[in-house]
Amino acid sequence: MDRSEVERRVSRAILRVLKLPPGEVTPEANFIFDLGADSMQSLQLVAAFEEEFGVEMDQEAALAVLTVASAVDFIKAILDSRG
Amino acid sequence: MSPPLAALFRPTSIAVVGTNRVQGSVPYDLFHNILRDGFRGKVYPVSPRESSIDGVQAYKYVLDIEEPVDLAVIVFPSSVCHLALEQCGRKGIPAALVISAGFREVGQAGAQREERLREIAGRYAIKLIGPNCLGLINTDPRVSLNASFARRLPEPGAIAFLSQSGALCTAVLDYAQARHIGFSSLVSFGNKAGVTEIDLLRYLADDPRTRVILLYLEEVTDGPGLMAAARQTIAETGKPVLVLKAGRTRAGAAAASSHTGSLAGSDQICDAAFRQAGILRCDTVEDMLDAAVALVGQPVPRGNRVAIVTNAGGPGVLATDRAVRAGLSLAGFTAETTAALKKSLPATASIRNPVDVIGDARADRYQAAVSAVLADEGVDGALVILTPQSMTDIAAIAGEICRLAGASSGEPPSADLTRAAQPKPLYACFMGQRDVAEGADILQSGGVPQYGQPERMCEAFARAWRFGVIRRRLRSEPPVEAEAPAGGTAAGELPARARELLANPAGRRYLPLDQALELLACYGLPVPPYALARTGAEAAAAAERIGFPVALKAVSEQVVHKSDAGAVRLGIGTGGEAAEGFRAVREAALQASGARVDGVLVQAMAPPGLELILGFKRDPAFGTAVLAGAGGIWVEVLRDVSFRIPPFGEGEALAMLEELAVHPLLAGARGRPALDVGALAGCILRVARLALACPGIEELDVNPLLVYERGRGCAALDARVARRRT
Repeated sequence: MDRSEVERRVSRAILRVLKLPPGEVTPEANFIFDLGADSMQSLQLVAAFEEEFGVEMDQEAALAVLTVASAVDFIKAILDSRG
Repeated sequence: MSPPLAALFRPTSIAVVGTNRVQGSVPYDLFHNILRDGFRGKVYPVSPRESSIDGVQAYKYVLDIEEPVDLAVIVFPSSVCHLALEQCGRKGIPAALVISAGFREVGQAGAQREERLREIAGRYAIKLIGPNCLGLINTDPRVSLNASFARRLPEPGAIAFLSQSGALCTAVLDYAQARHIGFSSLVSFGNKAGVTEIDLLRYLADDPRTRVILLYLEEVTDGPGLMAAARQTIAETGKPVLVLKAGRTRAGAAAASSHTGSLAGSDQICDAAFRQAGILRCDTVEDMLDAAVALVGQPVPRGNRVAIVTNAGGPGVLATDRAVRAGLSLAGFTAETTAALKKSLPATASIRNPVDVIGDARADRYQAAVSAVLADEGVDGALVILTPQSMTDIAAIAGEICRLAGASSGEPPSADLTRAAQPKPLYACFMGQRDVAEGADILQSGGVPQYGQPERMCEAFARAWRFGVIRRRLRSEPPVEAEAPAGGTAAGELPARARELLANPAGRRYLPLDQALELLACYGLPVPPYALARTGAEAAAAAERIGFPVALKAVSEQVVHKSDAGAVRLGIGTGGEAAEGFRAVREAALQASGARVDGVLVQAMAPPGLELILGFKRDPAFGTAVLAGAGGIWVEVLRDVSFRIPPFGEGEALAMLEELAVHPLLAGARGRPALDVGALAGCILRVARLALACPGIEELDVNPLLVYERGRGCAALDARVARRRT
């Protein structure tokens, strides 16, 4: 899966979980500081990404991811490692 | 110009950064408490997702607020606090409270986050409190700020409480509320990434609403700074500083490499340092509040002579016992006082101290007795005890005591007490719980210290009296700078020979004994003549040169307790004995496990004197602690030692000696002549100076240091000097 596709699907999952209007999600946006995710929503985001991409994530490592762009990198790396 | 921390204590506008609408969560409660408790300025909630909170317009970023903001209260999770603080810096907000946890206290990653906050605060000159704290409270009605997650604003008062533990703040608030104890401000300062307890202490010293400062500490990071701030606060403003310091029982890292090392636990050093700075150290929260209400509510006692007035014999005896044990004395009354008591009390009453007004006493009898004893010039304060009998008019007596204490609302004290000129403290002990509750409330609301037990009342009085003594001492003694004694060396100046001795080309931990003695001599300590011998013949020749009798001591890094190892010979009277003694002493030292022997010290025999130990060790919190104590081979057994943090003057050196159990021997006990305490104090000051001038030394002890009759000085016979590990 190419990076732009990962970006598109990550944004879609974020909009759904955080119930944000389109346009709020930028690559630099910080989940907590900019998008206002609380701890429960952070867990929901991890679950949503797993479902969206059909992958399993290490929860501690996933929660350490702070920005949208980093989440894209994180998921892309998992997908790439799967081959 | 506003004091540097004014934006923290007296903001006119606050942004709560990272708040939300989740009731019962820290981010929401912080915002809600500021609103609920009536903050006089503007409050701006900053929340990435909310348009308003509690009906107040919210902002996505602090940068979106158009008006200036004095204080940011950051309640975001720790991972993004730096982003919030950076924006605060860009907006020019001068002060921030970071409430969030998850920093230094959780390990390496947290420590890095904290360092980032420190860097940002430094870059933008933000006064930062926290992280990992409960917040800040200022009860000044002109501010009315509860920027904390404490349940409510406490009653206004004149006590400030600074705490490293946030949770302790809430417990103290709850406890204090039940006792009508008011506060000027409370600050939980958490991890101290920016503003420290020293900065806060200095601010509160200048705060006109604060008269007593309480401090709860878990760690002392800048001991000398804390000492200087406390000393200055007490001396210049007269405000007491009370500290509850946790960690009393933690075993000090006492290296057994020297006597001083094993004698000086870190808590003992902390204790001594606090005493030296005039800080009153308390053991429990109750202890601290007992003393605080005494110091804030009543004048500081001018002396320790108390009058006890009671309606019950037993509690009067209990109070007497504890008063005497706490260092107070029961005042003797003048003839006028005795006559006044006799006139106003029934024949069965005891008109001697403690005055027993008898179980059926009502307010008039208490009034007469307390007035009479307070008017007595030999009384420094009155301790009033009440037990609830069926005829005791508890509330009326409480009201009368308040009136006498001049603490009741607006009512002037009786003219016959002459208290306006010489105010004297009045404490109360209404014993019991339920029946005395109303009376206790009246007393506490009226500013009269009220205690449930006579023992606590006496301890609080004793503490307040000691504070008065300390305050007079600090006001009369200017702080001592490190300076040279007559003929000595300035602290910062290392004599060339001392530098050579400490150079340590061989990388050895200890200075050989001959060099250690030479170092002492460089600093003016009295060292009898000595020489190092490497053969029996050299020992004999050295002894001839020095003059008989001499002592022989093995010089070996490994042998700490030379006499235990048989590596000391005393009273050598001839050259032959010196040569023979050399072999014996050397052999004994060699037999001590793994000993390397550098030689044998031949030293002039000193006449007998009282054996003391002097020394110093380094301390992570206070820099250096100088020790004096009972010396000789029993030093670790007796553990009769006292400490001071250098620099200090002769007054402190003499006070160190007065604290020792051995002090009566110095003063001349059982017909023996007084010893040369002046010379001894001079030696202590020289050791202190050496400690300050030689940071390369980790520990040093001089043991024994013999003290002779007045005018005959001292003699340093042995020393151990450990270099700092590199």
